[in-house]
Parts: sequence; structure tokens; C-alpha cells
Amino acid sequence: MPCYLHQLLAFDRQYQRDRQQPSQFLHRRDRRFALDCAERQQTADLRHWLMRLDSDGGQPQPSLLGPWRQAGLILPLIGALLGVGFMLGLLYYDGSERINITLFVALALLQSLLSITTTVQGQMTNPPWQRLFARQQDTAVLRPLRPSLAALIAQSAGLAFAVSALATLFLLVLVQDLAFSWSTTLNTSVAGYHQLLTTLALPWQSWWPAAVPGLELVAQSQFYRLDPQSPTDPALLGSWWPFLLMVWLCYALLPRLLLLILAAVQLQWRARRLLRQHPGWHSWQYRLHTPLVETRTDSPLQPPPQEAPVSLSPRPASNTLIRWAGAGQHAPLADLASQPQPLILDAGGERSLEQDQHTLEQAGQRREAVLLITRSWQPPTGELADFIDDALAQWPTGTLLAIVPLGDEQHLYPCPPALLGQWQRFLSRQQTPQLLLCAPPAAERGGEHG
Amino acid sequence: MDNLPRFAVVGHPNKGKSSIVATLTQDDQVAIAMEPGTTRDSRDYPLTVDGDELYRLIDTPGFQRPRRVLAWLQNHSASAADRAETVAAFVTQHRDDPRFHDECELLTPIINGAGIIYVVDGSVPYSPEHEAEMNILRWTGQPSMALINAIGGGDYHAQWQAALGQYFRIVRRFNAVTAPFAEQLALLDSFAALAPAWLAPLQQARQHLQALRLQRAGQASLLISEALAEMLNHRQQGRAHPGENTHQLQQRLSQQWQRWQRQREQQLRQQIEQLYQHHHLLRNEAELEQLLDEDLFSSQSRQRWGASRGYLTTVGMAAGALGGAGLDGLSGGATLGAGTLFGALTGAAGGFYYGERLGKLRRLLPGGGEQHQFGPVRDPQFGYVLLGRALLHWFMVQQRNHAGRQPLRLPDNDGHWLQQLNRSQQRQLHLALGQPPRHSVEQRRQQRLQQAISDACAAFTHWQQQQRNDTP
Repeated sequence: MPCYLHQLLAFDRQYQRDRQQPSQFLHRRDRRFALDCAERQQTADLRHWLMRLDSDGGQPQPSLLGPWRQAGLILPLIGALLGVGFMLGLLYYDGSERINITLFVALALLQSLLSITTTVQGQMTNPPWQRLFARQQDTAVLRPLRPSLAALIAQSAGLAFAVSALATLFLLVLVQDLAFSWSTTLNTSVAGYHQLLTTLALPWQSWWPAAVPGLELVAQSQFYRLDPQSPTDPALLGSWWPFLLMVWLCYALLPRLLLLILAAVQLQWRARRLLRQHPGWHSWQYRLHTPLVETRTDSPLQPPPQEAPVSLSPRPASNTLIRWAGAGQHAPLADLASQPQPLILDAGGERSLEQDQHTLEQAGQRREAVLLITRSWQPPTGELADFIDDALAQWPTGTLLAIVPLGDEQHLYPCPPALLGQWQRFLSRQQTPQLLLCAPPAAERGGEHG
Repeated sequence: MDNLPRFAVVGHPNKGKSSIVATLTQDDQVAIAMEPGTTRDSRDYPLTVDGDELYRLIDTPGFQRPRRVLAWLQNHSASAADRAETVAAFVTQHRDDPRFHDECELLTPIINGAGIIYVVDGSVPYSPEHEAEMNILRWTGQPSMALINAIGGGDYHAQWQAALGQYFRIVRRFNAVTAPFAEQLALLDSFAALAPAWLAPLQQARQHLQALRLQRAGQASLLISEALAEMLNHRQQGRAHPGENTHQLQQRLSQQWQRWQRQREQQLRQQIEQLYQHHHLLRNEAELEQLLDEDLFSSQSRQRWGASRGYLTTVGMAAGALGGAGLDGLSGGATLGAGTLFGALTGAAGGFYYGERLGKLRRLLPGGGEQHQFGPVRDPQFGYVLLGRALLHWFMVQQRNHAGRQPLRLPDNDGHWLQQLNRSQQRQLHLALGQPPRHSVEQRRQQRLQQAISDACAAFTHWQQQQRNDTP
């Protein structure tokens, strides 16, 4: 049977650790495990999962049972010592007084009663001794198991007590001449007492008849204080030991053993139930059995462009304007020129490369600075860079080319500040001193659309 | 062409290609506006299910020199039959030419069999300069469709529709920032229309994406209930410093307690954002931040997120009566309904009386020595405030597309989401917030809280949708 208690503790521990992890990672990890198990035709169960996590470099598992484990070692040891002491005390015989059979039987039956009481307390949700654990630093998951754990340890200690007492009884029978008898103040007949003992001996009377006291033995063993020499045969008084041995075995030891096994099974059963009710259980099951959907890329991310300090140059005086890709077609471009009727040319956009070449030739013949009007929101492309390269190569050396990005189609609104960066970086990439970045007049006047 | 659907998302620079990829792949790391002219490679975004690829989106750089490319193609082609080969030849010849790096990057997946998703910006007027690009794409002979994205405020959709219709069989309008999830799935369906062989894997992908969304909603509900249980149960313990009186101690513990609550709320937000793969959300959601950064304990928070005193009294009464009725049941009716009456009165009084207090200092007895404790809070309003804030944050995150860069806008509202819950759900929520699970294995309370949060998520979503529909 798997140790559900340890699985529960290990699972809870992993659950607490996983709470810091992204859910996608957890799903990937657990689904991978389930698929690996399916490939190896292995059940994707908790035991294998925990083993996998451990083999993947999980932290060594410190004992989560802590004080419970210590109590489980110490209390049985104490029980064993007490068992020896108890039996030595009970069977103390110095020849003057006989050992009381009734007391022995009663104490054996008391052991049964204690075993049953321990089991009943183990069933309670809040046993009376619950407050003893108020300061115990158990992990939350252990709290509902406290009664079961306590019952298990108590039954272990009881069993150790019963075993050591039985061993002591056996030893004393071997090394000492013990004399047993019974007596009572009550008006009990020998037959009645014999009937009681025979009833107690029912469990073993068929396979060990010698361990069932006969009527004669009972009659001979009756002890009267006023007649201490009453039994005729002293050897007869020692023949009680098989019965007493079996009484202890059946009524003290076996109940303890059976109820210890029950406590252990019940603890496991409760741990198993808690495991199934654990807040992380369903999520874990879901991760195992639900396909992992991923949409992420493995390609490295490209860093965003560096911020460039924008420096606008004064617009050079010019009477030659080129509208790039139709920019400023509906804007009063003449206001940008130094004279009333500037030469306005077109390039880029829907125009052919040949038409661009023709524009370059026309502009070059003017032998003055040229304003290149662009839409600020259309990012500068390679075609614009090619056009500028061609222009500066073909035009007379030193001709200035000023890029004027406009903020809209109808007006000479300046480029919004957020878009200026891309133009500045474009200029930096061209590495040409004749290339300038300029603003339309509205910006120079501190226009409201800047 | 193999059966694995691949789609190259192409277009003019900065027309929203990356934002479309970001929305479809639910990855906000995509939508970083790259600058034309800087070196930029294509990035592949496969959708995998358990490692098996169902389709692949390829985010490409924009066209830089379409007129030169088209001119080259025209000069090297003899007839319409060799056009696709000519495009492949162009890529082969210019693979190492830095001037055509971007064109080679965007054309390579297409000549390797990818379908074409051509993206334009429908918020600016149509311009014929795009014709060179569209012609090049037509030359590849690959199945294609056009998407009209909307980056700015203008609407030139009709112009674009007419122009694009001449080059593409399928033209769709898709706003990457605002498209709801259903529209994203519909877009996948239209991808499937490009080639019959792609239908099956894309349908599978659709189902998995729907399941993923449900899964995330369930996870979010669990995260919220976990956080709420911790926050409602949190207690701050401490001893008085030498010379510190009770009032000062209460103040100190109360401050520590509030700090802890804020940190836990922040942690929940991060968990929800991680769950929905939003890695850059806080940086960009100015308005949401402003909304949620209102002090957790301020009266504004109480007014905005809490329940009215009338609501607390009514629901408290109903929840109390429910508990009292249990007592009556246990007594076999011997209490003559006194349990129900007492429970109702206590619940109602609790809702009314606690309206204005967060917590008080308690001395721990016995065995606590001089140890004092602040919290857990007993004000039922506090749970509603926490829940309302958590629900809004969750709702905004799960609604937000990964291409989103604008501050979120919330419609003003005059109702309250709690009204969307039925009476029984209201009672259960009230009980769940009033008696949260004290530890993780307190199953009955845990389940009740989880169920109540799950109902609350549904009610909040419904309420938000109603608010949006009502907004003209």
C-alpha cells in the first residue's frame, strides 16, 4: 500500500512551492511528465510525479512529521519499560502472598478497554486533548490528522507495553515458582467463577485446552485469608500460567495489535481522502490530463530602439520642395518656401522609380537647399533612404536636404513629439551632414499642435 | 505546400502586423513597434498542443523597397507562369544584400508555402503606394487574405475594402486591440478558408484555444478565492515595545496588517496577469492602475467596491436565518423557529453594525503573555471590497488583447454587480466571505468560497457586458 501520509505531505509541500510559479510553467512541467509516462506505458500517478520532481533536483525532503516521528519512537520505548515494570509489580511474589488471578484478568481487560478508548478518540474531529497541540507548529495539512496520528502512536505505545509485559510474564514463569489464587469477599461460587473464566478462555479453548482452568483447579485455588494453607497441592497453583498468558495475549496484546493496524490503515485512508480533497489536487489532475497549448516563440526578442535625443535644425531658405509619397498634397506648402511660388515636385509612393529620377534631376538643377516633405506618421522606409542617397550623390556637393515631417494632411502641423524619434534615428543612420531634420513654421512659432 | 498551416503576416511598416500577431498568439512581448530600417528578422509563433504544432504565424518586417523589388521581378519574368519562380529567384539572389534584407525575410516563408495575411491600417486613407506590395504578393501565387486593422481614429474602411478586393479574395476587418475573443476565433476560421487542407488543424486549434480560455477563467477564480481566504484570515501579532501604549500598539499592528494586505493584493494581480500572459500590463494600464491604486482602505474604495449597508443587512439577515434554520432542524423543531429568528436578527445586526470598522486589537489569552493581535477583520464590507477589486482586475486582464497599448477605459456605472447574483448566490457569497476557510484543507468552506467566487466571476462578467451594451 502506498504511504498516503507521506504522499500527502510531499504533495502539500510541492503545492506550497508551486504557488510561486507561473501556471503555464506548471502546466508544461506536469503535462510533460504525463506524456512521458504514457510513452513509457507507466501510470502518471503521484508517486512517480514526486519521484520525477526529486530526480529533477528537488530539494531534499526534511521530515515533515517532526515531533510526531519523535513521539512515535519515544512513547513505545516508554511503554515497553512500563510494561516490564507493570508485570514485575503484578507478579511480585515473595512466598508469603499469592498472586491474584482476578486482578490480573481485570488489568488485562482494562487494556482492552484502553485500546478501544484510544480508537474512539482517534475518530473524533476534536478530541478532548486537542488543546495540547495548540502550540504545535504542524503544517496545516496535518491538523485534521492529529487524532489519527495520536491514536496510532498511543496504540504503538500500548502494544509495546503489552508485548514487554507478556515477555516479562513468560520470563518470570520460567525463572520463578509463582503461586496464583483467587479470592473474593462477594458470595461467588466456585462454579460461577469457573464459568466466568471458561467464558474468557473461549477464544483458545479448542486449540489449547490446557490453558483453560478446570473446575478442580479453580476450587483448589480459592484463597481465604483466614485459611492460608487451604490448597492441598502447591504445584497446582503454578499451573495457572498458560491461562494467564493467553488472557494477556488475547485481551491485552491482540486488541492493541489489531487496533494499531486499524489506526495505521485509518491514518492512510484519511491521508488519502485529504489528498483527494487537497486544494491543489484538481489543478494537478487538470494539468496532467489537459493538453498544453502554447503560442509563444523561441526566437530571441529584439530590443526596442534606443531613445534618440531630437535636435531640430533651422529650416534652410529654399524654394524647391519635394512631396514624398504624396505628403502635404492638401497643405499650404508654399508657406514653407522662401519665395511665393516655389517649385513643388513629387517622388515616392505611387510614382515610378523613373519619375523619381526625373524629380531628382529637376531639383538638382535648382542649386539650392531642398525641402523634402514627409508624413510624420509614415515611418521612413528604405525607399526614402535610397532616394536621399541618390539625391546627395547627384546634386552639387554641399546641397542641403531638409526633411520636414508634417503632422497632418491639410495643415503645416508639426510632427508629434512621440514620432520625432524615428526621424532622428533615421537621420543618424544616414550619417550625412547635409541632411537636416526641420519642423514646419507652426512648430517654430511654438504652435499648438506640437 | 504541406498540411501545416503557416501564415506570414506582411504589410507596410508599422501598420499593425505585430499587434495582430500579439493578439492571436496572446503574447504581449510581440507588439514592440520595431523601426523600419533597423535590422529585423521574421519571428515564428507556432501554436503547439503538447508539442505538436497546429499552425504557425510568422511576424515579418515591413516592405522597405517594394517598387524596386517589383521592378526587378518585372525585368526578370517572361510570362505569368514563371512569376512564383521569379520571386524565389529574387530572394535567392538578394539574400545577402542588406538593402533587401526585410523583403527577403518576408518573402522567404511565403515561397516556402505560407499563406499571406496582408495587413493595412484602415484608419488612414488608402494610398496607391501599397499597390507595389500587393502586386509582389500576388506574384507569389500563395493563398492570401487582407486584414484591415485600425490603429488610429479615422475610418477609411470602405476605401480599403474596395481597393483590397481587387487583389485579395478574402478581406476582413479586424481591430487587433479591441477584437473580442469570439472575433479572434472567427479570424482563425477565415484563415482555414485559404486552403482546404488547413481546415482540420485550425479547427483543432480553435477548440484548444477555447478550452484554454475556460481553463484560465477557472484558474483565476481559484487564485482569487485563495487570496481572499488568506486576506480575510490574516492576523498581525506583536508585543508592545517598551513605553508603547495600547493605542500606539494598535496603530503599529494595524499599519503592518494593512501593508500585508496591500502586498497580497499586488501578488494576486501579478498571478492573474501571469496567468493571462500579460507581462507588460502594469507599465501601460495607467487608468486601471489609477483605479486600483486607490487606497484599499479608503472610503472611495468602500463606496466603489463595497456593498451598501442595506444590502449587507438584508443578505446578512438571510444568511443568518439560514444558519438559524439549521439549529431548528437539529432540535427537531423544538425551538419553534427561534433559531431562524435569532440567526436572522444577528445576521442583520452584523451587517449593519460592522459597517465602519476594520478591526480591533485583541490580547491573546491564555498563554499568549503580552502578545496582542490585530485582525482578522470582522467587517463584512471588507470582503466585498477585496472581491470587487479582484474581479475588476481579473475582468480587465482577461478582456484585454495582448496588442493593447492604450489605457483601459471603464464605462461609468450606476448599478452594482452583486445584483446579478440570485438570492441564494448572494447568501452563499455572504457566508463564504464571512466564514472563509482558515486553512487549505478546510474543505467545506473552501468549496463554498470557490463556488461563490466562480459565481461572482460570472455575475461580474455579465454585469460588465450589460454596462457596455447600455453605453451608447
